[in-house]
Amino acid sequence: MDRRAFLASLGTAAVATQVPLRAAEGPAAASGRITLLHTNDTHSHIEPFGPGNGAISGLGGMARRATLVRQLRQQLGPVLLLDAGDTFQGTPYFNRYKGRLDYQLMRMVGYDAGTLGNHDFDNGVGMLVEAMEAMEGLKHPNPPFPFVNCNFDCKGAPALGKRIRPYLIREFPGIRVGLTGVGVAFAGLVAPKNHEGVTWRDPYESLNPIVKRLREVEKVDLVVVLSHLGYNTNGSAPDDLHLPGQVPGIDAIIGGHSHTFLETPTKVAQAQGETLVFQVGFGGVNLGRMDFAVARGAVRAASGAAMPVLG
Amino acid sequence: MFTLQLKPSSSLLLFSLLSFNLVAQPPSSRAEVIPISGAIPDDAEIQKVIAPLAAEIKATFGLPLVGAPQGLFRGRRGEENLLGYWVADVMRKAAQGVIGAPVRFAITNAGGLRANLRPGQLKVADIFELMPFENEMVVIELTGAEIIQVVKEGLVRRGGEPCSGVLAKIEGTPELATLTVTWEDGSPIDPTATVKVATSDYLFGGGDSIPTLKQGRKPFTTGITLRQMLLDECAVMAKAKRDLLPPAPGRYTVPVPIQEAIRDKKFKL
Repeated sequence: MDRRAFLASLGTAAVATQVPLRAAEGPAAASGRITLLHTNDTHSHIEPFGPGNGAISGLGGMARRATLVRQLRQQLGPVLLLDAGDTFQGTPYFNRYKGRLDYQLMRMVGYDAGTLGNHDFDNGVGMLVEAMEAMEGLKHPNPPFPFVNCNFDCKGAPALGKRIRPYLIREFPGIRVGLTGVGVAFAGLVAPKNHEGVTWRDPYESLNPIVKRLREVEKVDLVVVLSHLGYNTNGSAPDDLHLPGQVPGIDAIIGGHSHTFLETPTKVAQAQGETLVFQVGFGGVNLGRMDFAVARGAVRAASGAAMPVLG
Repeated sequence: MFTLQLKPSSSLLLFSLLSFNLVAQPPSSRAEVIPISGAIPDDAEIQKVIAPLAAEIKATFGLPLVGAPQGLFRGRRGEENLLGYWVADVMRKAAQGVIGAPVRFAITNAGGLRANLRPGQLKVADIFELMPFENEMVVIELTGAEIIQVVKEGLVRRGGEPCSGVLAKIEGTPELATLTVTWEDGSPIDPTATVKVATSDYLFGGGDSIPTLKQGRKPFTTGITLRQMLLDECAVMAKAKRDLLPPAPGRYTVPVPIQEAIRDKKFKL
């Protein structure tokens, strides 16, 4: 199928069944809460894993993910759906549709933001931009989702650079959320021709001024980092476990790259409090959920109890 | 929902106390992992998009790939796993292409090859049948000594796992055997040299009891599934109008009594 026919097929299939909750405007309430839903390293696993894949057999699938996210949005209200990168590479869907389908489906599912992993560069910067363009060009009531990253210098790749934001703000009743992202070093992971025009910078040095700005200038209540650094490199490279110690002021790190299956977030102490580091495996077999409640002058309260989400 | 039960007056007091410190107050949180299981119904809108594309991909299963006039077989008792040798050769070649540096050794596991390639025209489905798993190729660094140990572990456990780049020969008797491992051209392996090795994420993760592979350093997760790599190789061969032929045997030389001792799990090296 050529690209135009493919896009047309997606366009006709698009039905306005879901309008995601966007940034709510209005007077700031005394306190607010937010649920972060997240995936990482989905690797073109659009369909569930088949049999013969051990513990993850039968798990995953974007159509199920969409149902789950819709249910949670209806039940919870303020929700951000986020992804920590490596959307590409892993199934024939990627070989055939070059990532366009992955990003278009993510928009249909209602992602609010994503970041870039090393494999998202597997077909080069040009094809990555094409996949983003296909997602932006989809006819669908959900808005296109933005990408956040603060340590890729895209001066030599302006088409990609204009699609990546160092940070963004989402406002909900009583809570302002700042989102940013960091990516893993290209050396040894991405062939030089595939990241032409994009230079990797140290994630700790890149994040520090961004987090400071989010806290002090943007006055956000919650700082969330989408990280494709990996959970724990044992000191051989920047990673999620060491990030809070190097960059204080982060509330949540939504991680990826290492395909780490965590049951609960790891709590890491840092100079301004505590950072939750979370990562939920790979292939879209799990959806992570973190609920935060913040108080602006009111007694802080925990958020809602666990709820059944299965259909 | 968690609610704080306080009398109005105490609530006000607490509020006024806390309000001095409102900026420093950290958010409270809770978290969970939600498995995306079959209990969750498909979203109709998404499924409507996926279904025809899935059908299209499945339709490609019948597409012809490349001719394999002799077929490629895993080998019965005592025979070498020429199908496995081909897979290991393709891994090594693909790994070199990805990292842009020589890859001296590749190893996969016979247990992961789920079907023979029967003689005739291969179809896409044949490769899916051979390799139904989503395992991906990983490139690691090992020393020469570690490579010899990897070969040894594969030999003792399974009579020799399919590999590319080395020749392994056992001589002697089950009671008194010696193993010689050289590079494929017969040259000696420097035990201290560090070289690049291609394997699967399954083996690197400790699967199939080749524990030394877990010691691999600087892992480069290529993201390329072994299956896709084989499909790509078949496409390259078809384009070049070449048939897929089995690699030459001779990578493992093991006397029959020792083969039997390995099968009976009575062999040690």
